[in-house]
Amino acid sequence: MNEKRKIRVLMAKPGLDGHDQGAKVLTLGLRDEGMETIYTGIRQSPEKIVQAAIQEDVDVLGLSCLSGAHKYLFPKIVELLREKGVEDVLLIGGGIIPPEDIPFLKEKGISEIFGPGTAISEIADYIRKSVARKWGAE
Amino acid sequence: MGNNLEEIREKRKEWEERVLKPSLERFAFKESPTKFYTPADIPDFDFLDKVGFPGRYPFTAGTYATYPYIPAPRRGVQVAPGLRRASTYSGYGTPEDCRDYYKEMQKRGQRSGPNLALDLPTQCGYDSDNPVVRGEAGKTGVAIDTLRDFEVLFEPFQGEMDLDRIATNITINAPANILMAMYFALAEKRGISLDKLVATPQNDILKEFIARGTYIFPPRPSMRMMRDSIVFFTKYCPRINITSIGGYHMREAGATREQDLGWSMAILEAYLQEGVNAGLEVDSFVPRFSVNAFGGDMEFFQEIAFQRAARRMWAKIIKEKFGAKNERSMLLRQSLMYAHMGYYNCAKQRPLNNLTRSVVGGMASALCGGPPACYPPYDEALGLGWSLEASQLSEDASRILQYEAKLTAVSDPLAGSYYVEHLTDEIEEAGWKELEKVESMGGIVAAIENGYVQRELAKGAYERQKKLGSGELLRVGVNCFVGESEIEVEINRSVPYPYDPKRREEAEEKQIRNLKEVKGKRDNGAVARLLGELKEKAKKEDENLIPHFIECAKAYVTEEEMCDVLREVFGEYQGGTF
Repeated sequence: MNEKRKIRVLMAKPGLDGHDQGAKVLTLGLRDEGMETIYTGIRQSPEKIVQAAIQEDVDVLGLSCLSGAHKYLFPKIVELLREKGVEDVLLIGGGIIPPEDIPFLKEKGISEIFGPGTAISEIADYIRKSVARKWGAE
Repeated sequence: MGNNLEEIREKRKEWEERVLKPSLERFAFKESPTKFYTPADIPDFDFLDKVGFPGRYPFTAGTYATYPYIPAPRRGVQVAPGLRRASTYSGYGTPEDCRDYYKEMQKRGQRSGPNLALDLPTQCGYDSDNPVVRGEAGKTGVAIDTLRDFEVLFEPFQGEMDLDRIATNITINAPANILMAMYFALAEKRGISLDKLVATPQNDILKEFIARGTYIFPPRPSMRMMRDSIVFFTKYCPRINITSIGGYHMREAGATREQDLGWSMAILEAYLQEGVNAGLEVDSFVPRFSVNAFGGDMEFFQEIAFQRAARRMWAKIIKEKFGAKNERSMLLRQSLMYAHMGYYNCAKQRPLNNLTRSVVGGMASALCGGPPACYPPYDEALGLGWSLEASQLSEDASRILQYEAKLTAVSDPLAGSYYVEHLTDEIEEAGWKELEKVESMGGIVAAIENGYVQRELAKGAYERQKKLGSGELLRVGVNCFVGESEIEVEINRSVPYPYDPKRREEAEEKQIRNLKEVKGKRDNGAVARLLGELKEKAKKEDENLIPHFIECAKAYVTEEEMCDVLREVFGEYQGGTF
């Protein structure tokens, strides 16, 4: 595996929620951390997000939701990815996610949930470590 | 003022040299961490011109002559007897779930009208049965598809609390005229004439393109919908607030203080111009413009000055630029929220600290001419909906500021402060500068279309986050004071929340069934005819669509059916990049 390749990240806003400050900030912030980032814009269906993730051949898919629909939307995206045979994309989530929902989302395939107040550097470190593990295993 | 400004400037120099300098040397400071203001910082200060009396132009000292919140300790929002106000923002699930919630709140003493939170499909013009919105129905608020849903939802609001006796708020923007048409249809069915209705739809579409994101149509046809509201409400519903303009959504999403001010004023100008272009006298409709909230930040004096500057600027625009004659037209009528901490400053870490933050905001509100409202409740960042405990403490904090600290006893108590007046001038000037920038692009609609505001917003949000990352901006318990010597403070919730989580989970399926039933029972021939007519009317730029929306609502045409016709004629906004 070429270690110099930049980590590719897709930041996505599934559903109708228009609160995308976090998604935009991470798109810019992870870029400054040396990653290649793409932002879908708001109001994306799970199907469109999965299609974009495959087309852009991303290593990481970041999902942001503040509308309370995460328990449906996040697992739906995992399901669609698996249907397409995509197993190696690191899935992370953020937004207003009640702590009691986190175990459910992790069980469904989301690796980590980052809530309000998380530093960009913390997310970047998590991504780098997780992706390095994946690349190391290849 | 008795002192010669030259003399003050000279004495200041002497003070800096003989008193301040040795002090800085003693503490090894390169520059002083504190500042000091004198009359020399407001050399042109003229009380009548800059401040004036509360309730008089330029309204710096306050919107009203006196405080409209009654000092009588009892449950609920403490408003004067002459005022009709809606209750706390709430709503979830199906109309049945929401109806039962209101019944429960009435049992607990609520006597005011609903302040409706709607789910995102309703806000974005989709019905609950559209597969595209799966997972969203009933989540951020109640799901509304047809008039049936309002009939169910408003069941608890009859008799002593009928539609002509309550005030209803609805947080709805792009399809505001459609939802209001459903409300009008309900009133008609109950035999209540429209001129008796007191209500506030949010109806501030322009900020949706900048922040929040519940737009449907492109900006220009959206402005036509705004014109329809201005004309129809002014003519038939004189007690309905046409719009509730909000700057704080933009601030939360990354706007700076001066952008918040400049853009809000640019939005005000755009709506005013729609009314004027439709041939209305400014004084006939501006008194029905209200404001949701501006600002929101932890910087205490800046936010107080911001509110004072906003009132002054608002009044000047309406008087000087639009030629209003009636002082009532120039009032910046705000809801419960004036200065506040900024919801985005709520932390998930050690969340009880948010209560302290909200008290800072509540104090700023009281000192800038508003109620001492300590918003939001401390668990804002923990999930959708506040716990009753957090709401209780929020309400108590406001009561403590009012009854124990007596912060509301004097209007604009900081008037004349060298610092606060200096700051007010400074913020107003920055606001005008930003407004002029937007005007030079052709106004806020053009500045949205060319992407300027969206780019600035994303930049601002990222700058703020970078400052949090570098420590230039400090948040206690979030990016500082997080070491091992600090302790975690857990919170316990023991009072059950009045939203039933099981009902919220099941709401989507239930509402899809409700909608199916309506579609099965209504006269579908009439629906098709009405939608055909809507298309023809929508194509005519001069046609006011609200009367036809009311006809559609009465025939149980769904919200999305109406919106889909408009999407066809108006097109859909594709969302901006940044």
